[in-house]
Amino acid sequence: MVFSSLTFLFGYLPLTLALYFLTPLRRRNFVLLLASLFFYGWGEPVYVGVMFLSIFIDYTHGLLVERFRQRDRLARWFVGQSVVFNLLLLGFFKYWDFLAANLSLLPGITVPQLGLPLPLGISFFTFQTMSYTIDVYRRDAPVQRNIIGFGAYVTLFPQLIAGPIVKYKTVAAELVHRTVTSRDFAEGACRFTAGLAKKVLLANAAGALWESCQASQNAGALTVAGGWTGLFAFGLQIYFDFSGYSDMAIGLGRILGFRFDENFDHPYLSTSVGEFWRRWHMSLTSWFREYLYFPLGGSRAGSAKTLRNLLIVWFCTGFWHGASWNFVLWGLYFGLWLILERFVFRDLLARTPVLVKRFYTLLVVFVGWGIFAMEDLGVCGRYLAVCFGGGPLWSAPDGYRLRSWALILLLLALGSTTLAADLWKKIPERGRKVLAPVLMALGLVVSTAYLVDGSYNPFLYFRF
Amino acid sequence: MTTRYSRFLSACFCVFLGGLLAWHLLLPDRDRSDVENRTLAQFPEFSWEDLKDGSFTKGVEEYFADQFPLRDQWTGLKARTEQLLGKREFNGVYLCGDALIAKVEPPKDGLEEKNLSYVSRLAERTELPVYLGLIPSAAEIWRDRLPRGAESWDQAAFIARAAELEGVEPVDFLTALRDHAGERTWEGIFYRTDHHWTTLGAYYGHAALMEALGRGEEVPEPETVRARDLPVSNGFQGTLYSQSGIHWLEPDSIEFWVEESGLTVTSWRDGTPKEAGLYDYDYLGKKDKYSAFLGGNQPLCVIQNPEGEGKLLVIRDSYADSLAPFLALRFEEVHLLDPRYYRYSAAKYAEDNGLDAIAVVYSVPNFITDRNLVLLTQ
Repeated sequence: MVFSSLTFLFGYLPLTLALYFLTPLRRRNFVLLLASLFFYGWGEPVYVGVMFLSIFIDYTHGLLVERFRQRDRLARWFVGQSVVFNLLLLGFFKYWDFLAANLSLLPGITVPQLGLPLPLGISFFTFQTMSYTIDVYRRDAPVQRNIIGFGAYVTLFPQLIAGPIVKYKTVAAELVHRTVTSRDFAEGACRFTAGLAKKVLLANAAGALWESCQASQNAGALTVAGGWTGLFAFGLQIYFDFSGYSDMAIGLGRILGFRFDENFDHPYLSTSVGEFWRRWHMSLTSWFREYLYFPLGGSRAGSAKTLRNLLIVWFCTGFWHGASWNFVLWGLYFGLWLILERFVFRDLLARTPVLVKRFYTLLVVFVGWGIFAMEDLGVCGRYLAVCFGGGPLWSAPDGYRLRSWALILLLLALGSTTLAADLWKKIPERGRKVLAPVLMALGLVVSTAYLVDGSYNPFLYFRF
Repeated sequence: MTTRYSRFLSACFCVFLGGLLAWHLLLPDRDRSDVENRTLAQFPEFSWEDLKDGSFTKGVEEYFADQFPLRDQWTGLKARTEQLLGKREFNGVYLCGDALIAKVEPPKDGLEEKNLSYVSRLAERTELPVYLGLIPSAAEIWRDRLPRGAESWDQAAFIARAAELEGVEPVDFLTALRDHAGERTWEGIFYRTDHHWTTLGAYYGHAALMEALGRGEEVPEPETVRARDLPVSNGFQGTLYSQSGIHWLEPDSIEFWVEESGLTVTSWRDGTPKEAGLYDYDYLGKKDKYSAFLGGNQPLCVIQNPEGEGKLLVIRDSYADSLAPFLALRFEEVHLLDPRYYRYSAAKYAEDNGLDAIAVVYSVPNFITDRNLVLLTQ
């Protein structure tokens, strides 16, 4: 099930919320666990088994780490075992076919491809459960002895399938004890509605524009203008899609009594590629920093090691996004820019005006989206070649596209800045009180209309 | 936020979600949607097998979407919003002033060339002369009405290519319709809310076909063909109305020009012949009013006119429903065969029934997407 579906909005969600709030406080984890398993099993009923296995193994490993805390080598062994298990799970379901296809290219080797569907959200929940055993070992979080509470954490439906990656320590206290005030509920509902509208109204509109540019390329009619329009559209689509989904997750968490960390902070306003990654999918960046980059030695062990560590982290970041070479390339592409920023451009960037730095960052990021969006590297290469002058500048369909999407592109561009939030703060308290329910109703009603029409509702983050 | 205000906001949220859920549950399920011209999904029957392979939950989602309250109104609201945002294209349909025009996507898998080759194979298989008439859709004839720069596949180039086909005589619908593209008399040549040609368009179509058969001089002026006393339906909202969600245009009118007297119409809907008519006026009371011509889709239909001349087999799609009355005036027998439903050899049918000629009459959008034309090679 995805949040932006009629079944979720007008079936699952109202029923789950009713059940949840009718249940006494101490039983709520149980309701949450059941509801989340139902949510998970909806799309892939068979994979509920994978979920049970994951809960059971990480739960026991947490206990084992705690139990053998005095014997450090043993405790470390169990942490390692849990990490290996999670990576195997992820590796098997997500990367098997990719590895098999590539190994089979070597002479004399054939590895069968399995063609298994990817269990929903496996990239997210394996990362979360790894953080649990590590946090317990590092004494950053208490061990969870109640398997229902732990299961509720692993399966928590708001962030189960598309993040944010919630570290165990963030919600450890709330898993044991949480209260929901009417303010939490109201703010959560507003946040959820905003996310829904971002996803259904804005992201999908940008996606249709991107598809139209791709169609031009397939017909061999892509122009420079069309190429950049497409990159721009895709970059905005993925931002509104993903940040919209994060907003919905954070809002639902709030309604249920959890406070997740923010996942996006207006990334397209960044003034360097490094800053972009501190503001884009923050929960993933910080996960890699905390559980991979720092353990490798971070940037404290000399330039050579820093370089190595950056390359490892960005290889992994890229590969995490999908089992395909373009994602690896995409990760390394960012690794390269970060290395350049750290070792070459540092002084230059410090002297550059802010507007130029923003432009430079957007250029790097949006060209990166080209690599991200097109799995076939040949197609991707040809597309980017057109963008950089390898084709006619302009054609009539470009004019049609820009006229048709002008208003939407303007809304998207403004929507990725802080403008809306700044304006909202300028409105006097009384005005906001009147506007909030009006905007909420508008967001819900119009999003529903788009969902019912349903002509265009693909979900980008299914691959994860 | 005060507690009272928070409760108010929370209530708004809950009432909307819960309210629509309750409405959905209380609303009786519908069997079919006339606007969408299809049957609607019902609640699926549960079985462990279906649950396991995911088809049960998928069925529930389809049921949920299909039976959603006020479905048509939501679609209309979406179209209105898109229009406000400056869009000109609505689910593959362009809004062009007071008319809707369906965009034609480029064909996939080389199907258009394959279908052309099937027509040549038909010509090789039979002794009878074979004519190919490809009817361009409004997106080609009214190209100047499309939004500036809007794309639609080049049908004219394809029709030109089809005219080169060996062993097959072309019927030039393109020129015939282009000559009258701007005509605003009566209903125009295409409906504004439906993808078919109008009776006037079909009239020009039949003139082009007669021209190709070398009998162009038989065709009288439109004014003399158009009967005045047949009913006219003014409330036709066609397929493009449904597909686009644009519900605010003036409905089309449907005209019937040819009188039925003296004609015998035989419909083969289920393998047995049944007496039928040129028109089934019952459809005028329904959404799908175009089906009033010949009573809609059927595998085979034969129209006999003792005063006509020659026997023609028409291999056709639904555009021929409104073309048939005009052909009935000219031919002793017109056999209309729809390869989507008629699964036997067309060449053999023509020989067995002593026909004089075969005409493949298809609209371009159907011709480049139809996967049944391979049957022509039988």
